Amino acid sequence: MTRSHPATAFDDTKTIMTTETTDRSDTSATLRDNAEVAAALGRRYEAGFVTDIETDSLPPGLSEDIIRQLSALKQEPEWMTEWRLQAYRHWLTMPTPDWAKLSLSPIDYQAISYYAAPKQGPKSLDEVDPKLLETYEKLGVPLHERAKLAGVAVDAVFDSVSVGTTFRKELAEAGVIFCSMSEAIREHGELVKQYLGSVVPTGDNYFAALNSAVFSDGSFVFIPKGVRCPMELSTYFRINAINTGQFERTLIVAEEGAYVSYLEGCTAPMRDENQLHAAVVELVALEKAQIKYSTVQNWYPGDENGVGGIYNFVTKRGDCRGDDSKISWTQVETGSAITWKYPSCVLRGDRSVGEFYSVALTHHRQQADTGTKMIHIGKGTKSKIVSKGISAGRSNNSYRGLVKVEKGAEGARNYTQCDSLLIGKKCGAHTFPYMEVKNPTAIVEHEATTSKISDDQLFYCRSRGIGEEDAVSMIVDGFCKQVFRELPMEFAVEAKKLLEVSLEGAVG
Amino acid sequence: MSEPQRTPFVDSLLEAAAQTSLPGSTIGWLDAARRENLEAFAAAGLPDTRMEAWKYTALRALGQRRFAPGDAQAAMRDVDASAFALPGIDGPALVFVNGVFRADLSRTEALPAGLSLLPLSQALQGDAEPLRFALSRHYREGGDVFARLNAALAGDGVVLRVAAGAKIAEPVHLLMIGAPAEDALAWHVRHVIELGEGAELSLIEHHASGGDQQHLGTQVADVVLREGAKLRHVTLQDIAASSTLVRHNQLQLDARAQASLYVLELGGALVRHDLHATLVGDESRLDTHGVFVLNGRQHVDTQMAIRHQGLNTASHSVWRGVADQRSRGVFRGAIVVAQGADGSDASLSSKNLLLSGQAEIDTKPELEIYADEVKAAHGATVGQLDERSLFYLRSRGIPLTEARAMLTAAFCRAVFESLPDERLREHLNHQLMAHLPSA
Repeated sequence: MTRSHPATAFDDTKTIMTTETTDRSDTSATLRDNAEVAAALGRRYEAGFVTDIETDSLPPGLSEDIIRQLSALKQEPEWMTEWRLQAYRHWLTMPTPDWAKLSLSPIDYQAISYYAAPKQGPKSLDEVDPKLLETYEKLGVPLHERAKLAGVAVDAVFDSVSVGTTFRKELAEAGVIFCSMSEAIREHGELVKQYLGSVVPTGDNYFAALNSAVFSDGSFVFIPKGVRCPMELSTYFRINAINTGQFERTLIVAEEGAYVSYLEGCTAPMRDENQLHAAVVELVALEKAQIKYSTVQNWYPGDENGVGGIYNFVTKRGDCRGDDSKISWTQVETGSAITWKYPSCVLRGDRSVGEFYSVALTHHRQQADTGTKMIHIGKGTKSKIVSKGISAGRSNNSYRGLVKVEKGAEGARNYTQCDSLLIGKKCGAHTFPYMEVKNPTAIVEHEATTSKISDDQLFYCRSRGIGEEDAVSMIVDGFCKQVFRELPMEFAVEAKKLLEVSLEGAVG
Repeated sequence: MSEPQRTPFVDSLLEAAAQTSLPGSTIGWLDAARRENLEAFAAAGLPDTRMEAWKYTALRALGQRRFAPGDAQAAMRDVDASAFALPGIDGPALVFVNGVFRADLSRTEALPAGLSLLPLSQALQGDAEPLRFALSRHYREGGDVFARLNAALAGDGVVLRVAAGAKIAEPVHLLMIGAPAEDALAWHVRHVIELGEGAELSLIEHHASGGDQQHLGTQVADVVLREGAKLRHVTLQDIAASSTLVRHNQLQLDARAQASLYVLELGGALVRHDLHATLVGDESRLDTHGVFVLNGRQHVDTQMAIRHQGLNTASHSVWRGVADQRSRGVFRGAIVVAQGADGSDASLSSKNLLLSGQAEIDTKPELEIYADEVKAAHGATVGQLDERSLFYLRSRGIPLTEARAMLTAAFCRAVFESLPDERLREHLNHQLMAHLPSA
């Protein structure tokens, strides 16, 4: 059973959560009296509520038995179980990576439960537990409305099991497969077998290996040859149960000439223990295919003293396998206590294009080490990186990127721009770009700046009657515009709002 | 972490340490520091490329080589130091052959007032206490393996002090010559340089080749600039094509101190240069300018880290690299602005030309910022000569090779433009031109 908060909990500021020792409601009450103070000091985490439904979890711990049980629970074929076990055995031999500019206490992998599913097995949207749907309402993803109004097909992942997929029929008519990973493994085994792990191999890195061993669910998208996906696809992830890591696995394959735009949003309730999220996303773009992948990540960042929050260790990689293919990553990262994430593009096909647009905001004691890798292999490949980092409070925000031009990448071209904005004296903004060039016809450019919001800009806004916080959010919005432009419209609005909420209390 | 391997390299140097008796071995603290550094060196061995500081420089091949302990014949080697004279530079000079001080080749008579210039081997015979701080340093960073080695084995070098307020007009020339010997040698020099308050000095660090050899040279230099001191430090590195040189220079700037560094890297098979500068005092200022021009199978790795600590400090760095044939150029330029270092103004530019399909450039400008009242920017590019410019020159009858050389020279020479000494500047540019591919 999950612990539940009073219904009002998510309206309280995070200050409330810090002072908690054993009795949460008491502290809440005291501090609610000081609501003004609290409101001024902290910032809200609007998605910080816990849905009180019964969950069916595997006991905490990780072993070959647990993996077999997990695989059996999900009714997976034998090859999948073997695949998981292989990844697990490899994971056991790997050291925990320590190269990122992050400080974190060691993670106890035996204390995590690797599977949590809502007890009532939902068969269609109408059968979904109303409480679950309510959760999505609070998150601003009313499945029906949102789907209808925005024409978005939503594959919502609640903890580990995909609870409902809308617009399946319409997509099916176009030949698009959009379903949960578990379903794909059962029903499209051959496709999954062909592509799963082909971009991020099971032993790629520590967290990818862990994910390969224990991934619970995720989305599978297959766009057949020549099809332009008729709508934007979207998944909303949410970590709900206590002590469950979420290990989702997403695979998107766009065949020759296909196009798809995929949206991913993430939130998690407030908890004071750290939760692990180690996802793997693989994209495959064949000849002339295009994949656009947008993320708004708003996992619970922990409170202002760094208590709680999600550890977000994600491996995202796209493979431009065919000539003239294109993969574009756009991300807005405002959540998570720790973010460790480098959406990458392997530009294998000639003239393939990789793009990375990122806004990463850290506040309080959040830490982000994020960036991208662009590996130029094919001739005439191009990549563009625009990264905007905003640090406030006592947070640390690092851009880490690699642009690699291999010998055969004749005429490869890269342009990278990394800007950092500092708000406050105790935060850090860092840039670690690696450039490795082996082809003399390639042009690689990198530019980076670091600055703070200038007093002149603030003064200008304030002299025109704009409050300090509004002024800051205006300036930040302008700073991020280049990236927001790349987001689908609904997401852009959400992202802007998220930044505003996240920056509350950052100035003054 | 994997167990360090006892490579032939490590073994040969440990044997060297056991055989040699270094100047100052009777000084307790010095002997202890040397021993501790040697132990650390032996324990860690050579780093592999998994270590971030050595990511682009593999030491496997070096690890398989053996080096004879310092040169016992160094005092007798027939070296013509005049061949390395620099135009207009005829002031004080200290010359080291294979790491050993050569009084006969040096010029130390009639030093200007306020300048004290001694080889380390002599300085240790007198009162060694002032050197204690610098020489008992421990190198704890995993990547500082050669600094450890140097700290354990260096018996000579330069001890240079400029008294407070003294403005030394004539540049001081430090010349390190690698001379051919019976075996490949490992030699080590250790410099301790201090400019007192308001002192001014122009220093030339010159690494030259007295003939073909495969020596390994290491150098550690500690440079301290007291309040308001000014240093111009020019480094010309033109060692033998098959030799190895590892330099570890540390620079500290107190309040209002100013340093301008010019570095030209031309020679060597494997060259590594670590430059760590700390702007400790308020309003201190550092400018660095560097060029490497590589061909053949040269591998040159520059690792620069500038740390802003004081208020209103400034650092500006301009680096250019050219890699042709099968060479590899590595550059890391890190700028760190510490917490509270408000008013820091830092910039860094690393531009590189990749002229061959077998060459490689790896560049990594870094920013690490912990204060908000800062201006920090860096830029890095890797590219090739502009086709249109080449076409323009060729359309005016200039052959392709010459046109390429002209454009490459133009790409590099801007770096030394701010060097006030015109004859020295021209000499550097001339050396650079001579080294350019297809010039």
